Amino acid sequence: MESKNNWKAWLYLAPVIILMAVFTFYPILNSFYISFLDNYNYLNGTFDGFTFDNYIKILTPFIQSGPGSYYEEVMQIALPNTLLLTIITVPISICLALVIAICLNSIKWFQKIFQTIFFLPYVTNAIAIGMVFAVIFDTDYGVFNAIFGTANHPWVTPAYGDPNSKVNYWSAVFALCFYIIWSSLPYKILIFVGGLQNIDKQYYEAAQVDATPKWKAAWKITIPLLSPQIMYVMITSFIGAFKEYDSVIGLFGTTAGNFDSTTGPKNMETMVYFIYSQISDRATRGGVGLASAAAVFLFIIIMIFTALQFWVGKKRVHY
Amino acid sequence: MEIKLKHLTKVFPGNAKKNIPDTTAVNDLNIDIKDGELLGLLGPSGCGKSTTLYMIAGLKSPTDGEIWFGDEDVTHLTPEKRGIGLVFQNYALYPHMTVYDNVKFPLTNLRVEGPKKATKIIDNLEIIDLIKNHSKEIIDIILSSTYKNKLSKDASARKLVYKYHIVTSQAVRLFKLGLQYKKEEELNPYIEQVINDLTLNNQKIEEQINKFGYTLNEKYEYVDKDDVVVNQKRKLTKDEIDALVQETSRLVQINEYLTRKPNELSGGQQQRVAIARALVKKPRVLLLDEPLSNLDARLRLQTREEIKRIQKETGITTIFVTHDQEEAMSISDSIVVMKDGLEMQKDHPQEVYNNPKNLFVAKFLGTPPINVFNGYIKNNSLYIGEEKILTSDKLTEDKEVYIGIRPEGFSTGEYVKDNSKVLTLNVAQIVTMGRDMSLVCKHDKFIGEDIKIIIDSDIKVTIGENKFAIKPNKIFIFDGKTEERIYF
Repeated sequence: MESKNNWKAWLYLAPVIILMAVFTFYPILNSFYISFLDNYNYLNGTFDGFTFDNYIKILTPFIQSGPGSYYEEVMQIALPNTLLLTIITVPISICLALVIAICLNSIKWFQKIFQTIFFLPYVTNAIAIGMVFAVIFDTDYGVFNAIFGTANHPWVTPAYGDPNSKVNYWSAVFALCFYIIWSSLPYKILIFVGGLQNIDKQYYEAAQVDATPKWKAAWKITIPLLSPQIMYVMITSFIGAFKEYDSVIGLFGTTAGNFDSTTGPKNMETMVYFIYSQISDRATRGGVGLASAAAVFLFIIIMIFTALQFWVGKKRVHY
Repeated sequence: MEIKLKHLTKVFPGNAKKNIPDTTAVNDLNIDIKDGELLGLLGPSGCGKSTTLYMIAGLKSPTDGEIWFGDEDVTHLTPEKRGIGLVFQNYALYPHMTVYDNVKFPLTNLRVEGPKKATKIIDNLEIIDLIKNHSKEIIDIILSSTYKNKLSKDASARKLVYKYHIVTSQAVRLFKLGLQYKKEEELNPYIEQVINDLTLNNQKIEEQINKFGYTLNEKYEYVDKDDVVVNQKRKLTKDEIDALVQETSRLVQINEYLTRKPNELSGGQQQRVAIARALVKKPRVLLLDEPLSNLDARLRLQTREEIKRIQKETGITTIFVTHDQEEAMSISDSIVVMKDGLEMQKDHPQEVYNNPKNLFVAKFLGTPPINVFNGYIKNNSLYIGEEKILTSDKLTEDKEVYIGIRPEGFSTGEYVKDNSKVLTLNVAQIVTMGRDMSLVCKHDKFIGEDIKIIIDSDIKVTIGENKFAIKPNKIFIFDGKTEERIYF
């Protein structure tokens, strides 16, 4: 019986498998392949043979320096930026989302309305939010400067018409992290609220009978019981943070921030930003090969981090 | 602890806009529970028994009425201030904690007040006593606890704790003393040396205490300059917690599972862990919500004995809720039968069975259930259809009644002595079950489908019409309108 029905199963799975093969599996394998091609031109498919040059160029930042050099971008700008963003935004946004979700779950009135409000950023266009944040952090008319009394502090762009005004790198990082954390909260809150609602209320009644303080119940009962969701959110948001790109475009535009003419443009560049810019700027001059190599490099980093998290999770997560 | 419920009422508000009326879950309930009593709240689902339990626990607040623990009014106290232990229907064991941590959890929140003691000295003295008098046994226990061919510290500590009622840290110290590695001739000198060391250590500790201006009395309690015992309010120490956990797990017999997680235990074991968690902080009252409903039939029998034993051993006032009359009858000292938030009857289990106050109680207790017929009283006699089954001077008022007859109240054949007082039933089916025989009969005045009768299997019965005599003490008459019992 089983083998007889097998072909039917494959038939039903076929549409998804075919689509995945064409649009996911093949491109992944192909970018591996392209990353080893020299001077690959993706318009006519020509290349000058196989090479490790793409990787060497990415991983050794100081081969060629000077204006117009792009080799150092990955190791000097894109990778540090990406790691920094990940390390700052992931823990903060998870903790914030957890606190908000626990609060949301414990209020009785307007719970549904608040849930909707908190979820709104998720369905809003990223570029639009980026533009709003660019306005919020505007040097001359920004809301942020107005509220916190940091008059004319250039967060994202220099003051208008003032040649001496320069954006400080850490100011830009702050603005960017602020934006990323804010925009990544809703999804996490949604997952956490869902997880919280699955926790049996009786655990809390039992804890209450045993005179457990609220904070202790949260720490000893809620968080361990929510650990599968926390694990899931941690892994997905690590990956998401490594892929950060649209927030940079939204806040700093297509120059990715140009704070100081001596260090060149693209001060806020991330890994994915580098990959895209290689494809669009130098598409016919071997840029695709470089981009593919960077993508494979990013893939390996993400894999290591994810494996690390699973390893940590084995002890800490209670399924 | 004596418990009094006075006019306890709980109304769940409805919604006037949506035309949902208020629900009265518990209605003017008055129950006195004696100290050390095991009381069963019995009733069909929705009768308010669980609500009553949760009101006693403090997890639900009563709409009206009072709850008294002894001479303390606890009606408006929060659950944690009432000193109760509650076992939930599905146990609510924390799934991510080991059994030990589950049982320990209530103690970590507890604050105790009492004389400040020199616990280190007491611990040392206990160890001295043990190695003085039981060194051979201790060595045997340690040598018998191996894990992967090596002496196991954890295993021997567990056994020592179980055997000598000491705390884990003391057991570990016993293991680390290394008595087990000493040769026969070295042993006694070594023990003497250890005792000397410990005694010296104790003296040092006492000197230290004296330096701070305190002295110790004969119970090793701190005494200040004015000869007053020093009291302190504090959290329990790790050793005290360990001692209590060990003691409780010994009581409910879960010592072997302390390191496991709840999902690695059977239902009965989980149940015992839940009881341990409720008992570990020595509550004044133990509350059990449907304690046996999640267990299979065999475990149920076993566990109910267990609950009864634990309750008797601790002497703690216990209230439990159940919809299973057999369960209630078998363990409780007294039961309260509830219906629609009202108390129907409170008495000893057998008394409730033998003397139901009304039709509901009679129908609710007993398996197979009582057989209820439509009947009437005429001229001091009780009739079912045309047949007279009973005569009594007390049946003065002629009226329609319900007649309940217990399944064991019938007899037939040669046992029918008085042919003027019989009931003719149509026997449809005979099932012999060893000692007893179960009959399924029909009668047109019977309310329901099948009359169930249990009689001695020696009695001869044939399919078809049979005349049955009925034992008067198994007949209950209930008013046709109020359903209250009519005594005769």
